Amino acid sequence: MLGKLKKLPVNRYIDAGILVFLLVFPLFANNYRVGFMGKTAAYMIFALSLDLLWGYTGLMSFGHAVLFGLGGYMVGLSFTFSGGVPDFMSRMGITELPWFASVLQNEYIASLLGIIIPGALAAILGYFIFYSKVKGIFFSLITMALAQIFETFFANQSAITNGTSGLGGLPRRFFGIELRVKPFYYLTVGVVILVYALCLRLSCSRFGKALTSIREDENRLSFVGYNPAKFKIAVFAISGMLAGLAGMLFVPFNGMISPTELGINLSTSVLVWIAIGGRGNLTGAMLGTLIVNWLQTLLSEFSADIWPLVLGGMILAVIFVIPTGIVGKLKELQYNANARKTLREISQKEELPNE
Amino acid sequence: MFIASQLMNGLASSALLLLYSLGVVMIMGHMSVVNMAHGECIMLGAYVCYYLYTVAGVPYLLSLMMSFFITALFGAAVERLIIRKLYGKTAETLLATYALSLIIKQLVNLVCGSELKYVAVPFDGNISVFGVTVPLYNIFIIVITAMVLFATWLIFYKTPFGMKMRAATGNRSMTECLGINCRAVDTLTFAYGVGLAGFAGAVLAPIRGVSPFMGASYVTDSFMNVCVGGLQSLPGTALSSLLIGQSTSILGGIWNEVNAKMLVFLIVVVMIRFRPDGLFKKERR
Repeated sequence: MLGKLKKLPVNRYIDAGILVFLLVFPLFANNYRVGFMGKTAAYMIFALSLDLLWGYTGLMSFGHAVLFGLGGYMVGLSFTFSGGVPDFMSRMGITELPWFASVLQNEYIASLLGIIIPGALAAILGYFIFYSKVKGIFFSLITMALAQIFETFFANQSAITNGTSGLGGLPRRFFGIELRVKPFYYLTVGVVILVYALCLRLSCSRFGKALTSIREDENRLSFVGYNPAKFKIAVFAISGMLAGLAGMLFVPFNGMISPTELGINLSTSVLVWIAIGGRGNLTGAMLGTLIVNWLQTLLSEFSADIWPLVLGGMILAVIFVIPTGIVGKLKELQYNANARKTLREISQKEELPNE
Repeated sequence: MFIASQLMNGLASSALLLLYSLGVVMIMGHMSVVNMAHGECIMLGAYVCYYLYTVAGVPYLLSLMMSFFITALFGAAVERLIIRKLYGKTAETLLATYALSLIIKQLVNLVCGSELKYVAVPFDGNISVFGVTVPLYNIFIIVITAMVLFATWLIFYKTPFGMKMRAATGNRSMTECLGINCRAVDTLTFAYGVGLAGFAGAVLAPIRGVSPFMGASYVTDSFMNVCVGGLQSLPGTALSSLLIGQSTSILGGIWNEVNAKMLVFLIVVVMIRFRPDGLFKKERR
């Protein structure tokens, strides 16, 4: 048992550390901090979902926040419509709810839609992108345009979404359960653990192996007889559903949702978190999210101006100094140490003849 | 009458779209580098124009040229310091240029202030074309875009530099074997692309105003445009600018500009399913 534990890669220890940290955090923090950490936990689910797509499959999505924000908007609209015509609508002179409001008023259906709609959007988009044999960079460009367009679209539909100010005053509810900050936080951490377990299970399965081989060499996978497009669509849809789930958990902590939550800035930020943490091993996504968000609040408490400069500097430093990210570097170090140890053992056992 | 005026507006916005996409054709099409800081290059050009033309009183056309050269110098420095080390690594280039865009935006914000600065329209007044009143500046935009397009075409196909550049993108190792310094060609190409972005920024400044955050909205538009045009082709990009600019303008005239953009985006996604190399890419033998 102990031997088996020692053989685990270093990042699994970090995973355990992060999850334990999330679990004990509320014992030492006030409600405000717990709310912040809850947002970070929702972001972690979001980052995990993108890590499946980018880290494992090599598809760099620049519009993942669209899927996150759609999940958030589903629950946001559901809460807003549940009390009849909301204030911002009646101020515009609208007396009737739009046609889809009756569907969204049912909380359970809205919560399910918050997972299904992002997944469906991802699948449809994936069908169009992946079945034509466009190169990797096109995927990034199209998703980037998607983010830009959805952001302006949601800002523009002010009769439904209240424009750029967004939907506010949202309660802490998830699938019909209304909770206070700390219980809701534990619910979120529970979902983080579930999503982490799911992603781990997926990445170790045959499906995950196929994803990794798409990243490494897509042509070879198709020579062996698999259709890479199907795997890509499937992983994009799964990742979209998880992102929607993350959005649904983020909105209650944030108390509001606005078009910036589905725009290009958040989309790029997640990529940055994963890049700093290290991609393709799940740990990096969680660690990066934690570090960057924590630093951001810490720095913006005394100066909001320097944060973009610090972040930019951090990105450049990671790219030029540790291109595999923090966790990637740690794994490399562990691998090298193990290799050196094995070599030493071998050379001790049998004296090499030429020495 | 309505159609005619929408067509004229569409022509001007197509010309603008083409003008700020040309830099992307150079950088993305010929160097396979996606420059996320493209918007910030546009913004830098606009600031150069603001300080030279509005603050220092330099003639407008001269400020335009200066915007081109100063941003091109900046582009050369960026290529030497950052981009050069990242050729072939798409994800890293995207992130590095994003970091660059964050840093430039914030530095400009801290140094010049975040408020919108206005640049007086240099060729004020209206002119009547085919019975439609058109601002003189729109005509100027169309003319200057045509000139820049022509100049770029000349550089591409009629100068030794253009030939080297096309050779370097076509077959890099062979080009190096022939004794051409591909690294110098890379620097010049990148600088030229960034310079074009700066030039576009200077043209945009009088109509859109100048602010540190002005660049964001142009990036995705120009990327999509170049994708539709087929990445490397100048006439393809020109045609797709015309197509996208006109359809957005006409649809926007009868409907709503954001919805029109959404529709055009959907069309682009469907198009990429069936013509992945862009609408106007030549068939390779």
